[in-house]
Amino acid sequence: MRKNIITLFICSCLGMLLVASCENELPTRANYSAYDFTGLDVDGGSWTPILLNGPGQITISVPEDVSSAAYQAELSSLKSTIANLTGDQRDIVNYWTNNPILRWNEIALELAAKYNLIPGPNDDGTYTLPNPANPAGPPPFPFAHPPYTSRALAYLSVAQFDGLITAWSYKYEFNRPAPSEVDNSIIPAYGETDLPSYPSDGAVIAEASRAILTAMFPLEKDYLQVKADEHLSSLVWAGANVESDVSAGKFIGSEVAKVALSRAANDGMKNAQTPKPKSDSIKASAFARFGWSWTNQEIPVRPVGLTPLFSKVRMWNVPSLESVRPGPPPAIGSAEFEVAAKELQDIQNNMTEGMRKIANWWQDGLGTYTPPGHWNRFAKEFMIKYKENPLRSARTFAYMNMAIMDAGISCWDAKYFYHYPRPIETIPGFKTILGTPNFPSYTSGHSTFSAAASEVLSYVYPAEATLCEQWALEAAESRIYGGIHYRFDSEVGITQGKAVAKYTVDRAKLDGAD
Amino acid sequence: MDKFLLTTRCACNSCTIFARRFCHIVKAGMKPVLGFLFFLSGIGSIQAQTPSDAIMMKRGELCFALAYEYGSFDEYWEGTDLRKNETIATVSRQALMPMVAVGIIDKLNFYLGVPYIKTESSEPNGGHLQGVDGFQDLSLALKYEILNKEIAKGSLALFAAGGYSTPITNYLSDYRPYSIGNGTNEWSLRGIAEYKLEMGLYARAAGGHLFRGQTEAERDYYYNNGSYYTSWMDVPNAWEYSAAIGIWMLDNSLRLEATYYGLKSTSGDDIRKYNAPQPTNKVQFDQVGFFGQYYIKPIKGLGVLAYYNQIFDGRNMSKSTTFGGGLTYQFKVLN
Repeated sequence: MRKNIITLFICSCLGMLLVASCENELPTRANYSAYDFTGLDVDGGSWTPILLNGPGQITISVPEDVSSAAYQAELSSLKSTIANLTGDQRDIVNYWTNNPILRWNEIALELAAKYNLIPGPNDDGTYTLPNPANPAGPPPFPFAHPPYTSRALAYLSVAQFDGLITAWSYKYEFNRPAPSEVDNSIIPAYGETDLPSYPSDGAVIAEASRAILTAMFPLEKDYLQVKADEHLSSLVWAGANVESDVSAGKFIGSEVAKVALSRAANDGMKNAQTPKPKSDSIKASAFARFGWSWTNQEIPVRPVGLTPLFSKVRMWNVPSLESVRPGPPPAIGSAEFEVAAKELQDIQNNMTEGMRKIANWWQDGLGTYTPPGHWNRFAKEFMIKYKENPLRSARTFAYMNMAIMDAGISCWDAKYFYHYPRPIETIPGFKTILGTPNFPSYTSGHSTFSAAASEVLSYVYPAEATLCEQWALEAAESRIYGGIHYRFDSEVGITQGKAVAKYTVDRAKLDGAD
Repeated sequence: MDKFLLTTRCACNSCTIFARRFCHIVKAGMKPVLGFLFFLSGIGSIQAQTPSDAIMMKRGELCFALAYEYGSFDEYWEGTDLRKNETIATVSRQALMPMVAVGIIDKLNFYLGVPYIKTESSEPNGGHLQGVDGFQDLSLALKYEILNKEIAKGSLALFAAGGYSTPITNYLSDYRPYSIGNGTNEWSLRGIAEYKLEMGLYARAAGGHLFRGQTEAERDYYYNNGSYYTSWMDVPNAWEYSAAIGIWMLDNSLRLEATYYGLKSTSGDDIRKYNAPQPTNKVQFDQVGFFGQYYIKPIKGLGVLAYYNQIFDGRNMSKSTTFGGGLTYQFKVLN
């Protein structure tokens, strides 16, 4: 008997170890490797950039011919480097792939999640705001909330796109073949390609991304430099580019980032988080206009809502705030309001597991990559599915992120113009399963961001339009289940997001890529 | 957790084990209250811990136990910084813990428990978030007496215990501090040693390892010192260790015990600044407590128990205070 028991014990111990050792490996990034592009977009250099007046705005020198001694020296250096690659270097090559737009987008989302932490109260009940002049804080700069993240992603994507249009223009002007086309003893890590290699598209992406993200996340300067250096080195290690390809691409990346960052410096974002007197006057105007206003319900009360003047940030493609501003929400206490309030109470009292899942799935709250980040993740998955080249990917991200940022600006305009209180303010004793954000209710940011993103993705990927629209509607619905928005916040937000995105899609249709 | 403390001891020694399991369970309950810690998650864990007790039931004996506990905290460790947070104000966790213990043979006992837990914030609070209630995990455990030997003026007993717990409802482990548990399977292995003097004084020490699986969140992206593109979260494994000094009094009808319990996760991240905890957090804590059990002589097999636990040091854990009480009833089914 005793022996049996001991045997049983030993077996169960072994069983536990087995169970413990076969847990799933958890993915920390998109699982893809280099792939053959659906097309090279040979005419990409003729597409209309967003910020540059044309590819000629950035000038690079004519490359040395492949028969020149200078090129041959670069080529033999490349060959000896490749012959001596370490395992770590090969891992780096495999990580970056031939569409590094996706990796830099992932890095941006990760930084958004890292910095999307709302500053807590000080011991005396006051709040200190992140300060770009003293990024280390505390609290650290930035607080990468959804408006901030939408803007960071827009500048990142626009700089990448304009830089790659420039690169494509020179690639097909100079037509320098890839190293493996010149010397067929070179086996490129990402496969043979007909894409001319001067200037390096990878280097444009590395340098433009590093510069934009460093401006947006200044405390990550060193980390981003390491990533960019690895990426630039990997272009030679992969056999994709010689050094002169890389340095020309890096120059374009650096120049295009300067253009994008000069727009960013004066787009109004630095005034978006207002001092309290300004915030109070915005609230008082709304109260005078409508007879209601939103008030933060936290303890201690936050004196100013999130970025009351994000609405004044320069939009990308929408002519005016008024052109997309929705009509007013139902008056508090009106029959329409009571219907919406009762729906929220019914949901609270009869929350199903399905509703809870939807609320949490789309929450994208503090500590995450935000709703703009969520849509970037979807876009990335489509880019892999459709095997897009970096230029195509940059285009999709650029138009989608401009539309998302414009949607945020328009939504914030409605939020502070109407200054509508949240359900926890208007419904006595109401409790939620999601945290109520620090800004007014009408319209829903999730709904507006999501509708705008869905519109652009539906334009780029018509086969995915139904899916994208379902996602946007579910994202909008999720805020009602979460108890933080009335149905009209979400429904009007969807309409608003579509209206905003139409301007971006109309522009995209004329850029020469279709 | 004070699994030890809780250990309810059925009137007889046999029941005690059972009780302990309960305790564990109870403790699990407490933990949630405390904080977001994964304690909560781990009713199962609790069971595993059961072994902390050195009492065995004879073959054919059965013990039922029912305990209630109330735990609360208004401070928690964010990483290693102790803080308050008016968003959640004071968070309470109540647990109702039914348990059964069975003497399979004299040297092997089996335990089963299923706690019901309810969490909520005090009013007013800045977050206006709903609390949660529901059944947590089913916990199963076996305890085996390896040795029981007279030494000097006392006796030394050694035990080994193995436990398993698994969620029985689809509660959300990623809703802290209100989550009622870790939402994952847990296997545990424990060793227990107790030395007891004839006069009734005893000392006990136990150590164990908790193997935790992964829990499924309702989002498929989260940050854990980097991006994770999955809804699965690793719940860190943990070491636990405990010690107790106690005495049997009043003709073996009253037992009083002072207890210590410690838990250390072997991996995990810290709660980020002013952010919610998550199941991946590296939880550590130290807890002291008192435990008492009284066997009501006029009613054969019936016992009452009460305990108090206080966490005094921690990491990513709530600084919880817990009170519990319960009844145990032990009887013989087989001869």
